[in-house]
Amino acid sequence: MAAIVQDEIAPLRDPLPASIRLRGPERAGLADRFAPTDPLPGAELTAHPRVARVVRSRKFQFLLILPNQIIFWTVIFVGLLGTAVPGLNFGAAITWYVWFCLVFVMMVVVGRAWCAMCPFGGFAEWVQRRSFFTRTQKALGLGRTFPEPLARVGFLIPVASFLVLTWIEEFFNIAGPGNPADTSWMVVGIVASALAFFLVFERRTFCRYVCPLTTLIGTVGSMGSVAGFRTRDREVCLTCRTKDCMRGGTDGFGCPWYTWPGSADSNFYCGLCSECYKACPEGNVGLFLHKPLTSVVAPRRRRADVAWGIALLWGLVLYQQLNATNAFAAAESWLDAHLGFPHYPNPIGYLGMIAVGALAFVAAAALIAKGVASPGVGSRPAVGSARPAVGSARPGRFLERTSRFRAFFVPMAYGLIPVMGADYFARQLPKFFQHAPRVVPAVADIAGLSSTRSPVYRLSIMTNGWIVVVQVAVVCLGALAAAWATWRITSNELVPISDHKVAVRVATVGVALACGAAAAVLYVLMHAAD
Amino acid sequence: MTVLDEATLERSPVVRPQVRVLVDRCAGCQECVIRCPAAALHMDTATWVAVADSDACVGCRQCVRTCPFSAITVEGPIVVAERHDPAQARPASLLGDVSEVRSGFGTWAEALAEAQRCLACPDPTCVRGCPAHNDIPAFIAAVRDRDLARAHEVLRATSVLPDVCARVCNQAAQCEGACTWSLAGGIPVAIGRLERFVADQLPVPPPSTLPRRGGDAGADVLSVGVVGAGPAGIGAAWELLEAGAEVTVYERDERPGGLLGWGIPDFTLPEEIAARPWRQLEAAGVDLRCGAEIRPEDLGALLAGHDAVVLANGAGEPLRLRVPGAELDGVVDATSFLRGAKAALEPGGSRQDLCSSLGLHLGHGSTPPLVLVLGAGNTAMDVARSAIRLGLRALCVDWLEERFALARPDELDEARREGVEVRFSRTLARLVGEGRVEQAFLSSTAQDRPEDRPKVLRLPPEVVDVGLVVMAMGYRNDPAFAAVAPGTPQRLEVDALPDRRWTASGVLAAPAAGAHRDPVGRLALRREQGLWAAAFAPRDRLFVAGDALIGPSTVVEAMAQGRRAAAALLSARPSRPGRPHAGGARRVLVCYESRGGRTARVATEIAAALADHDHSVRSLSIDRVGPLELANAHVVVVGTWVEGLVVARVGPAKATAAWLAGLPRLAGKTAGIFCTFSVAPRGTLPAVRRVLEAKGADVVAQAAFGPGELGTEPTSFGPAGFAAELASRLARDSVPAAPAVDRRA
Repeated sequence: MAAIVQDEIAPLRDPLPASIRLRGPERAGLADRFAPTDPLPGAELTAHPRVARVVRSRKFQFLLILPNQIIFWTVIFVGLLGTAVPGLNFGAAITWYVWFCLVFVMMVVVGRAWCAMCPFGGFAEWVQRRSFFTRTQKALGLGRTFPEPLARVGFLIPVASFLVLTWIEEFFNIAGPGNPADTSWMVVGIVASALAFFLVFERRTFCRYVCPLTTLIGTVGSMGSVAGFRTRDREVCLTCRTKDCMRGGTDGFGCPWYTWPGSADSNFYCGLCSECYKACPEGNVGLFLHKPLTSVVAPRRRRADVAWGIALLWGLVLYQQLNATNAFAAAESWLDAHLGFPHYPNPIGYLGMIAVGALAFVAAAALIAKGVASPGVGSRPAVGSARPAVGSARPGRFLERTSRFRAFFVPMAYGLIPVMGADYFARQLPKFFQHAPRVVPAVADIAGLSSTRSPVYRLSIMTNGWIVVVQVAVVCLGALAAAWATWRITSNELVPISDHKVAVRVATVGVALACGAAAAVLYVLMHAAD
Repeated sequence: MTVLDEATLERSPVVRPQVRVLVDRCAGCQECVIRCPAAALHMDTATWVAVADSDACVGCRQCVRTCPFSAITVEGPIVVAERHDPAQARPASLLGDVSEVRSGFGTWAEALAEAQRCLACPDPTCVRGCPAHNDIPAFIAAVRDRDLARAHEVLRATSVLPDVCARVCNQAAQCEGACTWSLAGGIPVAIGRLERFVADQLPVPPPSTLPRRGGDAGADVLSVGVVGAGPAGIGAAWELLEAGAEVTVYERDERPGGLLGWGIPDFTLPEEIAARPWRQLEAAGVDLRCGAEIRPEDLGALLAGHDAVVLANGAGEPLRLRVPGAELDGVVDATSFLRGAKAALEPGGSRQDLCSSLGLHLGHGSTPPLVLVLGAGNTAMDVARSAIRLGLRALCVDWLEERFALARPDELDEARREGVEVRFSRTLARLVGEGRVEQAFLSSTAQDRPEDRPKVLRLPPEVVDVGLVVMAMGYRNDPAFAAVAPGTPQRLEVDALPDRRWTASGVLAAPAAGAHRDPVGRLALRREQGLWAAAFAPRDRLFVAGDALIGPSTVVEAMAQGRRAAAALLSARPSRPGRPHAGGARRVLVCYESRGGRTARVATEIAAALADHDHSVRSLSIDRVGPLELANAHVVVVGTWVEGLVVARVGPAKATAAWLAGLPRLAGKTAGIFCTFSVAPRGTLPAVRRVLEAKGADVVAQAAFGPGELGTEPTSFGPAGFAAELASRLARDSVPAAPAVDRRA
């Protein structure tokens, strides 16, 4: 409420603000840059008072985490102490028959919903904050920042940790599922790692830089319809003098994910924890929806680490398909015999196959770049030019370099996200359709009330033939989405730097469709193997 | 960290600081871009991350301190010319010499060279470090432009003692400690010496007074009594006088100036500088009444005779010694010693007479008696250095470790250079003598952290032959005044979550050399609390400033608080009983805590209704109410939602309760309270009322709004009715005719 009556006497003034002469923030190109990614005002979920009230509550995330916390501690204890029959052990059954599949559904629909309710990071964060939900001002632990040399490779460390974890899981047949105790130890390992990182580093360093799932959830989640927490009015954020959403305020912690709602153009980096919403003193942050695939297609800031991560994740999911074929089994046996490795998965074969899958996509991108790029794309900028043109080569570190190859490869990789995500999802379907009902006897088994003779234990939701059909359908849907996304990305970002406007569209969309076709064919060959 | 100037850089360009922005973490918030003093950062609009230009970087690391996500690193030297301090005066003999020890810049060339070192930071941390918030970059810019009048004008906006503060401030823990070069580990700009240069080259202008409305003795002239003529009294009197008020100052001593007069020796603060403020104030019309001691019981009469009183009588009770032998002759307090030394060292004074009165014998050829000074703070240094000038020997002992010493580092160096022996980690165990003190037994102490109380070690004590013991352990407030000024002296503590504007500036990010006990930013935040505390009257029409408010502090803090108290007083427009009243607009602050939006809506309706009664109204959520908003409000309306389980633990929302508990004294302010509830408010309003009344506010209206009173149509029982009731009470207790406060904008 503005002053309505002119005062007769000048009020007391604080001399401090008069001495502060901040430069004006950069606004050039701001509207154009963020217009494609800014959600519509009408798509704000927190505009509804009930939603706002729930999200505003400090117990919001606690109540999301709590059920999962109970489930996963149960997984740990039942896995270690319960029956050794995997299908009857609640720990193994819930984790491998249901959880992974549900996480994928959440990713595709909501984005990082799992991150908001993750019991691993959630538990460690409770310890770090010394609180379940209240805003504390003093953290437990050393509060270090993640070492810069490691942070400079961005999301490649989590990809590497995902590859390592997957190899371990395959080697010990944890997800088969094999011995349920192995599942427990794996969960204990993740919780312990998370706790260690939360006690050494600040914020959610573990979730941002190490968690094996973070790149997968981030990329696949960018297909989702939840835009995350965004600014309502960017000008308010630009002129904000406290940045409570980043530093922490009275009611909310600073963003644990190193994200500023004022510049968010994707849901990739938003952990949906709602801290910025609580912390903002201006009430200028809201939870928004946007159209599916917006965070894949629209962002202007594309990252090389994410692109390489997508390529590697694509290589991994292809490996997980190929390893169910007879030809792979023969090749693996040959490799083990010659390298003296005891059993599947041979690390050379594992990494080699992933590399082949990833590099096939990389090679396609490189060929397209070479074939259609306009002259000058890739040349070094003129000396003294502070702002190089898009695609021009810029010396720098891994994340900052630009080149002709990157100008094509990075956007194309983003276009691959839908088919890659669909492929991972389809890969989980056999376990779900064949064994998900086993969760019921597994729950009963905790009380000693069930056995493998239970009819539910032998129940399948779908036959193998239908599973293949669903898998192929999912992958085809993903391929179509990838083709559409690639078309949009190509039109926006690659056509302006290409000499052959039609060829670049055909080539990039063709690569996306080819990836989908390869995955679909492999599912037919696998015949619903889990 | 190395320090390089531009010439060195030209010869070896490879050593420039290297700035790296971690693009993975840079969120493009521009906190670094808007604050970089060298404009070495800009935004890459393609990627929306900050881009650094290492060639322009000077290595001040302001960006590192302000980045919320730690996304910037700067490696390499800081690029700034070397600081050249003028040499100190070193007379051949200190005996009887009270000439000023520290020198200022003697030439424009020296001052300009130093002024060039200032980066003119867009968010100047030095200003936050300065207790008075002098606009340091602006006055240094004026020096660069050789415009001393403008420099004085800039300084005058926040200080009336630039010549004094330049000499007595501990700049290492204030402005210079918070200089961006200091925070980066370098040598700060000599802000104190530049301020002194301005004051030395062009005398500080006298107070500018305007003709008072209705003549000097007009009925509408604001009459203010100021108790104490020390720095806080000077600040308050100056501000009030310039605003056109009639100011009467009551000073216990025969000479005004307080600590400036007797507490700081001439070799630090020359007499003509210390006397300047009162010379000017008296000439401008302040009614100075020396030898008029005001006791707590006199305050009632004083308030009856003035519209308001500013209590600025300092904290003059010396801390007493509690060891065996403390009652012996030859044990005196620092105040007595410094007063005597000052008189003895003045022209016409006699060192011999002083020493005789203290029981000391100054024999020719014999070893002078040793003065044992208990403490090693600034007062102790003044005592010891005065003792040297009286021809005595001096030994200071302090139980703190030297790294946690309270004295200015430069003052400690000067004292040692002059022959004062300073021993840290020692404490007095007992004094021995036959009627008069002869020996002191000193025990060793140990201290690990600055906040720890030193531990006395069980080692054989050290025995020292002493001629005189001076207690310079510190001062405390007269407890009798706490009864008449509730809440004083205030204890200052930095909140767990400091003001984020301070955090954003980077001043809290790093400690600075010289501020041993605390990082300079936290020291500054504590001072800021004291400054704002002066804006709130502990009792109706009684404001308190300086040491009387926060206990023993510094000259600049006292002066700034005096000014702040005066400004708050002028804003509050108090009037003594029996003065003519007139209607007028009042500043109303509606503060609310709302969860679902209902309380906020009621607050808005109340604000709108009060505005219709011609009051000036602001409506703010409680988390946005700062001391400035509260200080400027004549009327505070507090609204809250009701928290609890229908019948159990029902009361004001927890956030409201916490906010109320942290409120300053609100004496002299009118208050209204309201709450919104769904089932029943139960004890909510009485709970809020109790807190506000305990803070000194006069609660004149209250209302609880349930679902029935919050319909779509305004009713006489709804917010509009509450506002009408409040407005009628305000009209009844209408404000006095506006006094002559033709205050400049």
